[in-house]
Amino acid sequence: MSSRLSGLFAGLVFLSMGLALYMVFIYAPTEAQMGVVQRIFYFHVPSAMTSFLAFFIVFITSIQYLRTRQEKWDQLALSAAELGVVFSLIVLITGPIWAKPIWGAWWRWEPRLTSMLIMFTMYVAYLMVRAYGTRPLQTRRLAAVLGIVGFVNVPLVHFSIELWTPEQQLHPQQVSLDPHMAYTKYASNLALFCFFFYLLHWRCQLEKGSRLLAQLRRQAEALLPEEKR
Amino acid sequence: MSSTLDRPALGEERGFWGAAMAVLRKDLLAEWHTRERLSTMVFFVLLTLLVFNFSFELGGAALHQIGPGVLWSAFVFASLFGLHHTFAAEQENNCLDALLAAPVSRGAVYLGKMAGNLLFLLVVELLALPFFALFFNLSLEAYLLPLLGVFALGAGCLSAVGTLFAALCSNLRLRELLLPLLLLPMVAPVIISCVGTTAMIFQERNPEEYFPYLRILGVYWVLFSALSLILFDHVVEE
Amino acid sequence: MNPDEVLCLEQVEKDFGNFTALAQVNLRVSRGTFVLLLGANGAGKSTLLRLLAGLSKPTRGRVLVAGAEPNYTPAARSAVGLLSHSTLLYDDLSARENLRFTARLYGLAAPEKRIDQALDAAGLGERQHHRVRTFSRGMKQRLALARATLHRPSLLLFDEPYTGLDQRASAALSQQLIQLKERGSTSVLVTHNLEEAVHLADRLVILRRGRVGYDAPWSGGSTAELGSLYEQHLG
Repeated sequence: MSSRLSGLFAGLVFLSMGLALYMVFIYAPTEAQMGVVQRIFYFHVPSAMTSFLAFFIVFITSIQYLRTRQEKWDQLALSAAELGVVFSLIVLITGPIWAKPIWGAWWRWEPRLTSMLIMFTMYVAYLMVRAYGTRPLQTRRLAAVLGIVGFVNVPLVHFSIELWTPEQQLHPQQVSLDPHMAYTKYASNLALFCFFFYLLHWRCQLEKGSRLLAQLRRQAEALLPEEKR
Repeated sequence: MSSTLDRPALGEERGFWGAAMAVLRKDLLAEWHTRERLSTMVFFVLLTLLVFNFSFELGGAALHQIGPGVLWSAFVFASLFGLHHTFAAEQENNCLDALLAAPVSRGAVYLGKMAGNLLFLLVVELLALPFFALFFNLSLEAYLLPLLGVFALGAGCLSAVGTLFAALCSNLRLRELLLPLLLLPMVAPVIISCVGTTAMIFQERNPEEYFPYLRILGVYWVLFSALSLILFDHVVEE
Repeated sequence: MNPDEVLCLEQVEKDFGNFTALAQVNLRVSRGTFVLLLGANGAGKSTLLRLLAGLSKPTRGRVLVAGAEPNYTPAARSAVGLLSHSTLLYDDLSARENLRFTARLYGLAAPEKRIDQALDAAGLGERQHHRVRTFSRGMKQRLALARATLHRPSLLLFDEPYTGLDQRASAALSQQLIQLKERGSTSVLVTHNLEEAVHLADRLVILRRGRVGYDAPWSGGSTAELGSLYEQHLG
């Protein structure tokens, strides 16, 4: 991406975040039942959606990497996985903060939170595999396999938990939102998605640069005479 | 097959099922000689049941609630031993190289290994059941058939994914630590469904009620067997 | 492709991500040749053998055995036999059971008879029902060779087979390699044991940091000559 374009992108992210923050704290009305704490909803839900998007990207790029063995797919997979873990962590932190005043407990084993926790652990394991590999190319392949298998598991996790605790649907299922709140939710989603793609782009660039550096180092070392190594 | 030495010729690829059977038979034979995997797993299950007995006061109504969870926790943890052994044995003397250098598809090796894991796990489950009934004062004759069904499905699901992950982890540092970390979140749907079904079986519920769980198990088994079959090549490739 | 060509490497490169094991390797070997592959540690010799055995896929280029790619085509691997410094045997099974497994894996006809012959040739007839764990190093290597040649492969790969063998066992192994050579098989031998290798090879290939540094026929000579040639091309 040219620096002009990335500058524009950064501007877009800044603006959308600013707008969303304004809307979350000032524009949106305070919810009748839950009070001010309900505003966490505007961070919690978009983060959940973003983490899903991130893991979906890991899935697709993992397949592509196994098919084509092109570096770029693997760089994308790694970046998306890291971001997915970060955003799901946000969900897991904002969830209890919201839950305590509303449900009366920091944590309940209900479908959505539990699914998110399991997904979080799966992708943390993905990152650990990357860290504990011995040979880079092989490690990337193994991680790609995990990225595929992990995502396929997600719907199964969700359905099985739903069967397990149908009475514990503590999350509001269908909520008809006040129009102001609906707009705020859209703005929040947009802001977070923009931010996600911005981070994804730069994390990818960072990874690309770091791999290039490693490769250049190796080539330089190969040129040195034996004694100097 | 008749490749003679005076002409460089291609033989045939060994048939898929024949190769898988050969791998399975070999694993069963090795286990028959040593019985180390089976005995370790069964002993571990018994120990786990014991520990759970101390941790919770099991008896009466509480048993029906906690019992299934205890049983399946024990099975899942025991399976980790068995799964780890699947490829640990192949790494001794680099035997995996012999398997990969043979004219068999990688998928056949996976299938043979998975079938072995499935059988071992099923045997462990069956051997543990009477002890479970004994420790917790349960008469299980009424439940035997549906229990067998859920045992088979559970074993199938665990081995489908477990075999792939065991192969995956054998290439990494800290493989004994990573296998549980990878496997446990992955098999969450299996644990949930198996425990849910077993609980309903103990409560003598109508099979229709736990059929949704069985469906999840069935889908899981088929889906991940197929996926693992395809992905195994990438995992063992160098 | 020349029908007489048993193996062929075209512009083969093998990269592990943090280390390039082989780069621009070109090699063509016709049948009946006994190739001696030398090189310092880390030069890429084992990697090359693993590519030929189908255990590894090249990052770039093509590896062909009898015209097919062993890393992609299972059938191509039936022409290859591998003897390594690891035995590739199951310690908990008996000698016979190990060979039976190999026979099943390769889909061999009349397996029991072949196993009998192989055990006789390896001098393990008496101990065939004993667990491999109880065998000496020399016996294990004899069984390993029997396993590697059970399916009568046209290409034999030897990765440091003399490791851990005493004088007598080494001589016995060389004897068997000569017999295989006389029967027309093609071999690639990786070893540091120049004394044994000097009598076997008719082609010498020296790898240097993943590239072919020397590739020429070897028409016989002394161990010292071989040694100095090796030193010359180590770089």
